[in-house]
Amino acid sequence: MTVDLNKLHAVGAIAEEAEGKWGMVIDMDLCTGCQACVAACAMENNIPYVEEVDAGYGRSMHWIRTERFWEGEYPEVKMSAYQPMLCQQCGKAPCEPVCPAFATVHSQAEQINLQVYNRCVGTRYCANNCPYQVRSFNWRDYQDSRVRPEITILANQFNPDVTVRRRGVMEKCTFCIQRIHKAQDKAKSEGREVEDGEFTTACAQACPANAITFGRIDHPESLVAQLARSPRAEHHLEELGTLPRVTYLKEG
Amino acid sequence: MIKRFFVWAISPMGRIAVVIAGMFVFSLAAFGIYQTQQNPNPQPIQFPHNLHVGLGIQCLYCHPGASKGPSAGLPTISKCWGCHQQIAKTQTSPKLKPMLDAMNNGTNFVWAPVAKVPEFVHFNHRPHIAAGLNCENCHGDMTKVTIAENPQVMNMGWCLNCHRERAGDDEAKLIKLTDCGTCHY
Repeated sequence: MTVDLNKLHAVGAIAEEAEGKWGMVIDMDLCTGCQACVAACAMENNIPYVEEVDAGYGRSMHWIRTERFWEGEYPEVKMSAYQPMLCQQCGKAPCEPVCPAFATVHSQAEQINLQVYNRCVGTRYCANNCPYQVRSFNWRDYQDSRVRPEITILANQFNPDVTVRRRGVMEKCTFCIQRIHKAQDKAKSEGREVEDGEFTTACAQACPANAITFGRIDHPESLVAQLARSPRAEHHLEELGTLPRVTYLKEG
Repeated sequence: MIKRFFVWAISPMGRIAVVIAGMFVFSLAAFGIYQTQQNPNPQPIQFPHNLHVGLGIQCLYCHPGASKGPSAGLPTISKCWGCHQQIAKTQTSPKLKPMLDAMNNGTNFVWAPVAKVPEFVHFNHRPHIAAGLNCENCHGDMTKVTIAENPQVMNMGWCLNCHRERAGDDEAKLIKLTDCGTCHY
């Protein structure tokens, strides 16, 4: 499907971003809803667990979650496919223009949405403007062992490549940019380009059903670009013109 | 308004209040100055960089990670011992006593890192070395210092100055080198 960029007022820099660089394909036929991606993402990206009280306020923190939908009236309910939902890395992202501190900016180099933690002042405008509801906010110092003594032992398993966020900072999926950088750095030191399938995101790596595929969406021969051309492909909330980079393969 | 303030200030209670306010401001300033004059964390041994570099030891001998990955690395006691076991003075010199003790007790040095960036900055040594930078471009001339010290404030403006300079007219390189996501994630 082609997108009319003029209709979206997506001209200039944003028109180029419609191409995209990194992309993801999630096959909802293959997803079993096992939550391995959720756990892997939390481990990779130092995502804290929030406790019962905060979770009750809807402050639980996940960069990826598995959504499920019920069809029909109780008791005649049918479970539809599981749908992992993560930041769609929109080409024309609704979160970006509302940030007063320019903390959520579009990376020109990697064509993804960034969250710059040291710029973020915690207005939460971006989360309120995100149609996918994938941003999470640090309501407390969840990772500070002075505030939560029980986290001290868990601090040993922090990923050193990812910032440990502090209170009052918005965060979201980064498409595992630390892995992108690592692969690019390795490829550059060996004098070559990053190959397709050389690395993948934590969620795609953990998925036992291979439902998640990650790679260069702008390389037509890459696996993720081939899957994205499938007739089953669909983008979520496409009518909003957000140009999402994550393609879902609906039930065939 | 101001006149009324002065009238109040010369009254007994006003004088006390002014003195207390003055003491408060003074103590704040003194505390601030005291904080800036603090020495950094002490090193486990008074390591003379100038002597070692002067002997012709390469930076990468003790900090080998700089050419391979993100962290340059700080040497362990066994690396020190590799050379020092052949130096007779090691056994007698009082300055080298901490190393001898650590070696005998099987403990290790806990070095105090000097060149630090905040935790939300992800610095990688390898591409900088690969781009042809020398250690002294950022860390200063180590032949002139004994205990390592940081010659400059490593802030974002300092990083970006060099990034912009080295990108030059190459548009793609400039985008990559000034992208937020290159360092902050």
